[in-house]
Amino acid sequence: MYRYDEFDAAFVRERTAQFSDQVRRRISGELSEDQFRPLRLMNGLYLQLHAYMLRVAVPYGTLSSRQMRMLAHLARTYDRGYGHFTTRQNIQYNWPKLRDIPSILADLASVEMHAIQTSGNCIRNVTTDQFAGAAADEIIDPRPVGEILRQWSSLHPEFTFLPRKFKIALTGSPNDRAAIKFHDIGLMAALNGAGEIGWSVYVGGGLGRTPMIGKLINAYVPHEHLLSYLESIMRVYNRYGRRDNKYKARIKILVHEEGLETIKAQVEEEFAQVRGGRLTLPQEELDRIGAYFAPPPFKSLPVAAIDIAREKILDAAYGSWLENNLHPHRVPGYVSVTISLKPIGAAPGDATDAQMEAVADLAERYSFDELRVSHEQNLVLPHVLVSDLPAVYVALVEAGLAEGNAGLISDMIACPGLDYCALANARSIPIAQEISRRFAAPERQKEIGALKIKISGCINACGHHHVGHIGILGVEKKGTELYQITVGGDGTEAAAIGKILGPGFEAEAVPAAIERLVEAYIARRQTPDEPFISAYRRLGDAPFKEALYGTA
Amino acid sequence: MDILTGNELLSGATVYLDTEGRWVEDLQAARIFLPEEAEARDAAIAATKKTGRILSLEVEAVKLVDRVVVPLRIRERIRAAGPTAPAFERQHLDEDSHVSI
Repeated sequence: MYRYDEFDAAFVRERTAQFSDQVRRRISGELSEDQFRPLRLMNGLYLQLHAYMLRVAVPYGTLSSRQMRMLAHLARTYDRGYGHFTTRQNIQYNWPKLRDIPSILADLASVEMHAIQTSGNCIRNVTTDQFAGAAADEIIDPRPVGEILRQWSSLHPEFTFLPRKFKIALTGSPNDRAAIKFHDIGLMAALNGAGEIGWSVYVGGGLGRTPMIGKLINAYVPHEHLLSYLESIMRVYNRYGRRDNKYKARIKILVHEEGLETIKAQVEEEFAQVRGGRLTLPQEELDRIGAYFAPPPFKSLPVAAIDIAREKILDAAYGSWLENNLHPHRVPGYVSVTISLKPIGAAPGDATDAQMEAVADLAERYSFDELRVSHEQNLVLPHVLVSDLPAVYVALVEAGLAEGNAGLISDMIACPGLDYCALANARSIPIAQEISRRFAAPERQKEIGALKIKISGCINACGHHHVGHIGILGVEKKGTELYQITVGGDGTEAAAIGKILGPGFEAEAVPAAIERLVEAYIARRQTPDEPFISAYRRLGDAPFKEALYGTA
Repeated sequence: MDILTGNELLSGATVYLDTEGRWVEDLQAARIFLPEEAEARDAAIAATKKTGRILSLEVEAVKLVDRVVVPLRIRERIRAAGPTAPAFERQHLDEDSHVSI
């Protein structure tokens, strides 16, 4: 893992000291709220419905055991014993007090963490594949480039006051698990004709009130020019992005209104100026950063087959967990383990301090001290020996984290919604809980197969509802919560935005509506292996519309 | 009819202006401003702003149901009750976080 150098340590220390003084001056009355608000937001401190909320950055979703233990400590000491892992691979604390924030930031700095770049109109915390550095299908570990992007974008003076926030995601695998086409900039590892690895660059993707799929602006940018190329995009956006209308200020609107070719020409013009300059990334620097992410000392082992059918007979719950929560590793004898933060009936993404400690222990013992946070609000042990799986499972059962539902219908994304969020119009968590309870039976979940439900409590779409195979958007209508259902969204490389098929439903009616969609799918799928999203693409809207609203 | 609500600076807790000019946790203690009391309401808002200690200050419409104050917006009902799923107790004021106007 990356370790802070003296520059990183100094800027985090300085920022913590600065903000501590700003908090002091706010409390003493020297600073007004109008003066303090932008300062606190630059340090990840929001005010929500019930209290402050502190959003802590987990750069490219990578954590050590020591860092996870610190997150547990913060939950226990300054909050209410839990934290909420978010769709941006961050963690949020819902109940901190203003006086405690300097201590929290100092504690975070002691483990090389901070809350910078989790708010404001800057380049936000960079996100990536949760199986980065482990996945069998990866052509490059994206984390070294993720770290270089972090260093380039952190407190970048030119891009601290952009027209709007700016999100970058990258994946080193052709199978996109980081939703890169729904980011302001998405990077996907690519090979050129000579077999060299570089990056395909997508621009202008996003969710929110105007969902857009990112457009390919450059099919291949070599490592050495990546920063120059990204800086060129940022400069075009910073110059031409709309500042007159908050709702039209994201780069997706600029690309949409001006057209990709116009933007591309502007970027190329800028790139011609900066290419080969101070942002050129020498191979030695890439190697230096890459060394921090060197593979751990894996054992040399034969391929280890897991007899899931046998395990299921012996222990159905363990069998389901093996079947759903393992991801192929690039080293024989190892797997990546998804730790589901979606126990039946729980709030998606929440983990208690005790659970965080338990996960840190597991990482230390069984995963070379490494952890990941997924944008689907789960945790990952990236490097686990197949022979250690029984022990890991037993420990997860003890911690209440052994739900074998990764990728199934109860593995939902849900934003905090109106239970916490000042922007929300409707609650998300209770909807997720009810759907989870309705489809709790493992046999039923297995029958349904891969199905992603994503729930947002407002149009800002933190719950990624647009890219749910089934998406649920909470709105307020005449003082009550109403839920629009979309079908056909996809956050992967086969990116698609879900379609609204008709009027919304009251909260109580949502689980039954989901059940009707599921039944329509099961009745019409060609084989039990045809996933929901494939069946939807083959069948179109009609059977699903009929399932929701009956025949006209 | 309206009440005034906001979040207290130190704790972030949800608070309401009561009839004594104090910012308190209890919705049922909130002063209710009738339509003809707009001037008094606006004066209370101005005095509150001067303290610099109440954030997200809002005028919220309420109704009385069997003498119980009920906010019209669901958002406000959740603010008054705390998160629902799972249910958590609301944030409380710290000892030094009481504000009066």
